[in-house]
Amino acid sequence: MPPGGCLLIVGPSGSGKSTLALALAGLVPRELPGDWTGTLEVAGLDPVSADGPAVAARVGLVFQDPEGQLVMDRVEDDVAFGLECRGWRPGAMRERVPAALAEVGLSGLERRRTTRLSGGQQQRLALAGALAPEPGVLVLDEPTANLDPDGARAFAARLARIRDARSATIVLVEHRVDEAWPLADLVLALGPDGRPIDVGAPDEVLARSRAAIEAAGSWLPGPAGASRGREGRRPRPAPTVGLDAPPVLAARGVRFAYDGPVVIDGVDLEIRPGERVALVGANGSGKSTLARLLTGLLRPLAGAVWLGGADPSRLRAAELARRAGLVFPDPEAQFVAPTVRGEVLAGLDPGDRVLADAVAALMERLGLPLDDFGDRSPYTLSGGEQRRLSLAPALARAPRLLVLDEPTFGQDRRGCEALEEILAEQASGGTAVLAATHDERFIASFADRVVRLERGRVVADEAVA
Amino acid sequence: MIVRRLEVEERALASPLGRTSPLLKLAIALAWLVTLAFSYDVRPAAVIAAAALLAGLSVGRLAPSRLAAGVAPLWAVAVGIGVTNMLFSAANTDPSNAVLAMIGPLRLTAAGVAGGIGVAARVVAVVAVGVVFGQTTDPTALVDSLVQQGRAPERFAYGALAAYQAIPRLAGQLGTLREARRTRGLRAGWHPRMLVGLLVLAIRHGDRLALAMDARGFGSGPRSRYREVRWSPLDAAVAAGALAVAVVALLAGRPG
Amino acid sequence: MTAAASRATFGSGGSRWRTRDIVVTAIIGVVFGVVFQVWNLVWGPFDAVFVFFPPAKNLLYGVWLVPAVLAPLIVRKPGAALFAELVGAALSAFIGSQFGPDAILSGFVQGGAAELVFLLARYRNWSIPVLVLASIASAAAAWIHDWIVWFPDVATDTQLWVGVFMGVSSVVIVAGGSILLVRALRQAGVLKGFPAG
Repeated sequence: MPPGGCLLIVGPSGSGKSTLALALAGLVPRELPGDWTGTLEVAGLDPVSADGPAVAARVGLVFQDPEGQLVMDRVEDDVAFGLECRGWRPGAMRERVPAALAEVGLSGLERRRTTRLSGGQQQRLALAGALAPEPGVLVLDEPTANLDPDGARAFAARLARIRDARSATIVLVEHRVDEAWPLADLVLALGPDGRPIDVGAPDEVLARSRAAIEAAGSWLPGPAGASRGREGRRPRPAPTVGLDAPPVLAARGVRFAYDGPVVIDGVDLEIRPGERVALVGANGSGKSTLARLLTGLLRPLAGAVWLGGADPSRLRAAELARRAGLVFPDPEAQFVAPTVRGEVLAGLDPGDRVLADAVAALMERLGLPLDDFGDRSPYTLSGGEQRRLSLAPALARAPRLLVLDEPTFGQDRRGCEALEEILAEQASGGTAVLAATHDERFIASFADRVVRLERGRVVADEAVA
Repeated sequence: MIVRRLEVEERALASPLGRTSPLLKLAIALAWLVTLAFSYDVRPAAVIAAAALLAGLSVGRLAPSRLAAGVAPLWAVAVGIGVTNMLFSAANTDPSNAVLAMIGPLRLTAAGVAGGIGVAARVVAVVAVGVVFGQTTDPTALVDSLVQQGRAPERFAYGALAAYQAIPRLAGQLGTLREARRTRGLRAGWHPRMLVGLLVLAIRHGDRLALAMDARGFGSGPRSRYREVRWSPLDAAVAAGALAVAVVALLAGRPG
Repeated sequence: MTAAASRATFGSGGSRWRTRDIVVTAIIGVVFGVVFQVWNLVWGPFDAVFVFFPPAKNLLYGVWLVPAVLAPLIVRKPGAALFAELVGAALSAFIGSQFGPDAILSGFVQGGAAELVFLLARYRNWSIPVLVLASIASAAAAWIHDWIVWFPDVATDTQLWVGVFMGVSSVVIVAGGSILLVRALRQAGVLKGFPAG
């Protein structure tokens, strides 16, 4: 790698691209035990045997999870943290901190609390923290994976400027490549087994190895990925499937506020059997709150929600679970049992043989057969397996309405495709599916109707061709 | 809710009490606590509670509504602890004490009631001090002060501060775990499994956070300071005032 | 560099505190600080159950002492009991609803007592008897502290009942709970790289 260039590493989940990023920063195997062979040289140092601080001084690292990198309570202190660790003089820090914040577009937020920033701002703060000590190499591990489209674009724009300044060599690990691809001088594509498929200039790699990279489960930029959705690889039912049927769900003039300002303001919504609705809108527009109102976890302050003819917030929990399933963004944050089997069966009648058979068949279809997975801990599954497992408790109850909050959160291409397939199957069986999401690729391939929220109001509700 | 209570108003932080060394404030709070332990009397506790609340309102520039909200939960605690002391007071079993009332098998005596009120006043004083301390102290300033003025081990102090940043996230995840149980038709209340779930998420988060800190050179060598903390005349004035309050409280508690 | 060599060099670190030991210990304290806040909301109504015999309420006391045994059991470093308990206590002091500055004193006393037991076991013995002893020591310290600071008037026989309930609570909730939690966490695979994993 020449100094000042930008290396893009693409690969599916489990290809070891994150591990490689950590290795570059000297954190593997120093801080995480494991097996290690081969050689590595970063800025003239071997990060494995070199002194930890010596590597840290030359490598800046940005991780995927914005909240996972917040160290200090205030923005400026967080940027200064890495400088303090490296023993910068106070005067030099006073100059460098505002400069680093300016580089990422966070000037003016010096005294803000880090936990009060949006995800996109937090991620740019992490970038400022990594840039502050003026590292020779900047390693970014899927920095936009957890951001909404606006946040991701703002981040990519800042990154592009840093690349153009050519002050640091950039190593960018990504599996969503639309914004990352144009930044790259060099692309390294990894296969699922962690072996390299190809390495070279972006255009050459695309020309040479497009098929192999796609087969490995990575996304590629431009028409290839986008068209797949629009053309609709799978046959899907006409969007008019349930238009004459009575709605599964109806909301009228729904208003809601937690303690402070109104979050949901006069929402009307009807969803019919088999519809596939994407609920979109910026962070804070009320998507997650609306999902909770529609599934009875919250009760509206005004207006009414009707789920199959009843007010969901007044249904008994078991009855509610039969009518509507709600799936949360982070699979790990919703597991309630120590094993996969317990996870699917939680809250179901353990003595029901018919149900047990149906659940076994369902898990087979989800690629999580109980014979192999039943006794494993949900936390030890891969990201894609966890996503499918998180759908299982809802699907096992065959609800008429399935509501998903950010279902593609942290998923690679294979994970997303598996998810789309499961949802398509549900919809064609007559289940109405509502997904709150800001994943544009997912919307393009999943939705037949898009409802847009802005500050708690529905501002658009239209069918998509 | 937890998150909101943790956030301190900038106005209070800019006040004289907000700029006082957090280490000093902590020392005062503990010294007052010891002062209270010398006496069961209501008066010392009243002096300290009044001093803390007045200091919070004046030199702490706390909004009265915020102070009231902070102190609100303490009444239940004070009453609970006071009543326990009253009902189960040793004085109640002393036959020479006059009986005020019988509650089932329990005798309630004047001496018991007086003792209970004294302890309840102590609760009010301690919690009032705690609220004023919490509402005028910035977490970063506290840690800086502990490290620079109190010689606390800095890796632990900053490690703890980093862990504190996870509070909003953990509170949110605990909420999701409860909702996830409801969506399965499980009992919505408390279940030990939620604690396991929360700990799994917390330990994962802690691991990632530690990695991010290592990547920024945490604990790798001598650390410089972005914020130098120094003792100031203000600290001396606050210390003198606190000492005066303690003396008054002790004198007020002297019988006769 | 060979695989064996790298494993030998980068293990779980002996008695040196790695950053992850520090942050994970602190975050265990934070989790219990958060849980304790929610616990109060959830269990408030249950107070009525204990009205007839308030000392029995101390059966739940152990929840507050769990970090003092759980954290050292996971990271196995000198000072873990004290550090975890202090972090949790400081959180509740900062929120200000509990017992103000006394929370920090309580945390110090409770964590310190458990720490003493682990010290006597030289941070090498993590058997069930040691964990039970540490739990009881922590509860005993809490009991004495509470007696002096909060329940000075309460008759000795009632105090003895309180002590018995706190002791039972510490064995069941603190020692038993910590062992079960570590087992569940190990099964979930999050303790890899820690001595308890």
